[in-house]
Amino acid sequence: MKKILLATLLLGFSTQLFAADSIKIAITGPFSGGSAPMGVSMRDGAMLAVNEINAAGGISVGGKKMKIEIIERDDEAKNDRGALIAQELASMDGLSGVIGSVNTGVVLAGDKHLQEKGITKIVCPAAGSASMTQWADKADKPGVKDLSIFRFAASDGIQAAMVVEEAINRKFTNVAIIHDATNYGVSGRDDLLNQIKLQGNKLNVVATEKFNIGDKDMTAQLLRAKTAGAQAVLIWGIGPELAAVANNMDKIGLKVPLIGGWTLSMSNYIDNAGKNANGTLTPQTFIEEPITARAKRFIDGYHKAYHVDSIPSPMSAAEGYDAMLVFAAAVKQAQSTDTKKIKLALEDLKDPVKGVIATWKHPYSKWNPADEQTHEAFRRENVVMGMIMNGRVVFANEADKQRLIKQEK
Amino acid sequence: MEVIFQLGVSGALMGLVYALIAYGFQLTFATSKSINFGQGELVMLSAFISLTLQNVGLPYWLMVPAGLMCGVLLGLVVERVAVRLALEQKSEGWILMTIIFGLFAFSAAENIWGRDDHPFPTPISSEPMHFFGISVTPVELSVAIGVLTVMGLIELFKRKTLWGKAFEAVSADRDAAELMGISAKRTIMLSYGLSGLVAAMAGILVSPITTVGPTMASALILKAFAVAVVAGLDSGFGVVIVGLFLGALESLASFYIGSGWREAPGLILLILALAMKPSGVFGKVSIRKV
Repeated sequence: MKKILLATLLLGFSTQLFAADSIKIAITGPFSGGSAPMGVSMRDGAMLAVNEINAAGGISVGGKKMKIEIIERDDEAKNDRGALIAQELASMDGLSGVIGSVNTGVVLAGDKHLQEKGITKIVCPAAGSASMTQWADKADKPGVKDLSIFRFAASDGIQAAMVVEEAINRKFTNVAIIHDATNYGVSGRDDLLNQIKLQGNKLNVVATEKFNIGDKDMTAQLLRAKTAGAQAVLIWGIGPELAAVANNMDKIGLKVPLIGGWTLSMSNYIDNAGKNANGTLTPQTFIEEPITARAKRFIDGYHKAYHVDSIPSPMSAAEGYDAMLVFAAAVKQAQSTDTKKIKLALEDLKDPVKGVIATWKHPYSKWNPADEQTHEAFRRENVVMGMIMNGRVVFANEADKQRLIKQEK
Repeated sequence: MEVIFQLGVSGALMGLVYALIAYGFQLTFATSKSINFGQGELVMLSAFISLTLQNVGLPYWLMVPAGLMCGVLLGLVVERVAVRLALEQKSEGWILMTIIFGLFAFSAAENIWGRDDHPFPTPISSEPMHFFGISVTPVELSVAIGVLTVMGLIELFKRKTLWGKAFEAVSADRDAAELMGISAKRTIMLSYGLSGLVAAMAGILVSPITTVGPTMASALILKAFAVAVVAGLDSGFGVVIVGLFLGALESLASFYIGSGWREAPGLILLILALAMKPSGVFGKVSIRKV
């Protein structure tokens, strides 16, 4: 008994010693509940990067090799829990930074606590525009001078631009916009309308319809689109209702493409819509096809490490992986585990980071409250159009695939 | 013109599901003057249990009776746990107790099956069929047939069997029925069992359309309340008519007025019914002797 006690004591002591020599990074996100596929994939993708870095001995900081130690927190996609976790992390000793958040509401509830203490955070993969615009200049209120929050995800703004672009490229002139009545759906509709204007008013919106969370009968909304002669349905919503829309479109014989935000790659859309999901178009930052050596290594690594044949949310996994690599590069450049120095390094990353989505060259620059793009890593060229085909997301345009293959070379 | 029919038919078919759930309220109200406010959770639990039965390999046609039996059991549990004691003490405690039961069922489902929505496999095709330019899927037709069959059978049971007659007698006058030697306690148990059966049937029928998740019934249950109140809490025939009408009205309103107005006609109907005919359009005015 005494021996066991001694052993545990020693073990406790040694891990503490170890902790002082490690880089502490928190990963937060919904690891249970409806958003879990995204949260879990992001975390597992990030852990893949951590394991690779640690297996190679860690990051050398000040002449000493330091390993990464991960602190995990499940926010359950609940705003109040997100706020509590952010407060806990903001007062944690020796924390180098935070990576995570899937839900825009959680970001809005929590990030202010981190920003207050100047804790560096990379928001990933939450896409809602408000996550970053909340810090930028507004008509009635100037933005913050200095920001420790960065984003590593394709924002809704980029996605809406691509959705509109795709509809124009496919020579459609009449489209219907259908969205859910939540903040996410309504701001998505505004992004779409804004983009239609920006891209030269080539699309004529013949119907703008909305639905509530929990609605399953979309016949009326879709019939309005059909009778108005819509050639495509542009949509902003989440999984289960999107599936109801796809299934109802099949029922009333509205055989036009469904184009919308990345939520159309959620498993609860793909599974519940079944064959009716085929042909759905949605912007993606990563597609689970081993087209390059790097992508193949990542996909195989993920499948092997977590014993799955397909990644629940490939986009979230790849973004988590790359975000961790970018963060690690910043630690290396800062030669410090101090979160404020890491922030400065992130704003001026010298060496390109070879990720699975792209090679990130200087992804961020010094925060400018007039332009939130300074803390956004993704540009239009980092995003491709995906298409749902038989339960998986594939490349919609061969050109995108070739471009990515060429980029790697 | 076709559009109107398409909207009417699609909406009315959903309306029949409201009617079936509303019928579950009626069954228990008739005998005990109590309502299970957790009826929606009963629908959801039965759907989850049926899904689990299918996942362990039970074929669909065996799963249906098994799922219905589970519904009956759940109904009896509600009666025993949440209603019986309150009724014995002539208190209104069942209101709170059935709500609590519903909340408990909801968290249990979240913890057992998770918060995701799951597709519900069914051998019935969802390939649309076309009649005179109106598209209807066999799944939707199965809902209509299932709802009307279950309600028809229960009504037949109430009219033709001894147990059914006891049910009617307790509904008409509980004290008199007890004096005639009918056990009101058993009859109330029976009504809760039937109400559970109806909930399970609603769950099995509607799941292929709505998918199965902890929140699947929350939208349905409010509409069902409206249907039950507008129709009156003692007319089985009335709920079908009002259900069909409300369903069709919702569809038509969201098409002609705008999708934001979908819920409005139902609510206006509810307010009108409460203001002008509180016992329901098809309800009987109850005479109370003091």
